[in-house]
Amino acid sequence: MAEVERFLKDMGGKIHAKIEKKGRLYFNVDNADIREIAEYLFVKMGCRLSTATAMEMYHGIEVLYHFSHDKTGQYFCPRVVIKDKKNPKVNSITSIVEGAIWIEREMFDLWGIEFIGHPRMEELLTLHHPNPDLKHPLRFKEVA
Amino acid sequence: MKANKIPVGPFHPLLEEAEYFELTVDGETVVDIDMEIGWMHRGHEYISEMKTFTQSIYLVERICGICSTSHPLACVHAIEDIDNIEIPLRARYIRSLVGELERIHSHLLWLGLAGHFIGYDTLWMWAWKYREPVLEMFEIISGNRNHYGMMRVGGVAKDVDPEKIVELQKHLDMIERKMIMISKIAKDDPVLRSRLKGVGVLSHEDAIAYCTTGPTSRASGVPGDVRFDEPTDAYDLVDFERIVLPNGDVYDKLVVRVLEIIESVKICRQCLDKLKTATGPILNNVKEISPGEGIGRYEAPRGEVFHYIRSDGTNRPIRHKVRAPSYVNIPSFKASCKGIPIADALITLASVDPCYCCTERSLKIIDNNHDPQKLDLLKLSREKTERIRREINAD
Repeated sequence: MAEVERFLKDMGGKIHAKIEKKGRLYFNVDNADIREIAEYLFVKMGCRLSTATAMEMYHGIEVLYHFSHDKTGQYFCPRVVIKDKKNPKVNSITSIVEGAIWIEREMFDLWGIEFIGHPRMEELLTLHHPNPDLKHPLRFKEVA
Repeated sequence: MKANKIPVGPFHPLLEEAEYFELTVDGETVVDIDMEIGWMHRGHEYISEMKTFTQSIYLVERICGICSTSHPLACVHAIEDIDNIEIPLRARYIRSLVGELERIHSHLLWLGLAGHFIGYDTLWMWAWKYREPVLEMFEIISGNRNHYGMMRVGGVAKDVDPEKIVELQKHLDMIERKMIMISKIAKDDPVLRSRLKGVGVLSHEDAIAYCTTGPTSRASGVPGDVRFDEPTDAYDLVDFERIVLPNGDVYDKLVVRVLEIIESVKICRQCLDKLKTATGPILNNVKEISPGEGIGRYEAPRGEVFHYIRSDGTNRPIRHKVRAPSYVNIPSFKASCKGIPIADALITLASVDPCYCCTERSLKIIDNNHDPQKLDLLKLSREKTERIRREINAD
């Protein structure tokens, strides 16, 4: 697909571990490059941010963005892997995509990932939870 | 003038899901709005990781009581995306038939409530009256009026009885006649037009910036529609129009939904015709899901429902992300509510269809300097319609 080829040509140097499927492109990017990738996809290509998914894996915490190129139905999914599980931090893309404000707050809330540059880094879903000790409920719990 | 704050929710007849809106008003004008969610987080994503793939479909069917096909359909699309699983032709038509019937009844539900909020109770009662035959069609197809249990990985669970197709077509004929009547009312009524035109405008730029979907974005001139952009099921086998309007106000959102109902009837009719001749299985036998990740989406009545599923090769997902359309549409209130009169706040908040319920409203007033009666949003909204009606009748 022409959009994928053009994206890979322009941004290829910043892309690692690419997985290409029919209508889907998953790839890893460094935290330092996520804003540039988001700007290219959202501003230059006219993609829409569907959402983002956080996952805790054994090798680190992943933040996977899902950008939809609605004109072609193609999905571009940049993935940032955070190795430091105790203090996870990722650059916020909210200065580029206003629609990312809630989903980044949700990932901070449920996984404790701090998004650097987010205008309002506070809980989204557990802000009024009756248990004040509830912190980041979707993180793995250490087994005693 | 000192700005006052009006809280709406977290329990309010406007909102089926508990959400909280805080309107900052300067005199009669809304100058800012803040939103809070999380009042009923039910942990579906976490629970899904403890269920098998088949059980997850039942689980996500219960996320929303109104569109209980959209989530399971997006979920099975995500699982099928991992292994590129093919769907039998007959199942593709059945999936689209059920999906479009759901769009009709959901839009009718919204239309009725929108009518109620602006003092058009006749529209409310008609819309809900003609929603009833749609639910009867679901009962004929699946045995249930809601939570149909139709979706499976690789197809559908229940076939449409060929002997019932004529009965379903009769229902559809009646629904189409009534929908044409309601669409004429919605488009031509001078009071309705005056009441909603130019109210709660979401500009084209803001609709893109907030990544909105569904009728909310299509009424602002953003053409995104999953049924066209990434056609699955039978959407590339049937003819229908993409409804896009330019103004972004509540009136355009209403017209988009009304016209979409008529397009949905067209899709249902074509699916029923094809089901008379499309023979074959309704379910492919899928024994296991490979390790990998898949994206599934479906154009629900409110917009794109998005599911992401990651598999490690066992019979359970290791991650299941769900994003409903209201999640991206609600933040756009920041743009659409600023500068509007308080009397228009209720219909503007309702215009993205953030899931309704029929409970009694509970608007809490914290500004003791005002008469609470004067800050009843529903009453203010209906009074404004009545004023417009009197002015038009006087001319």
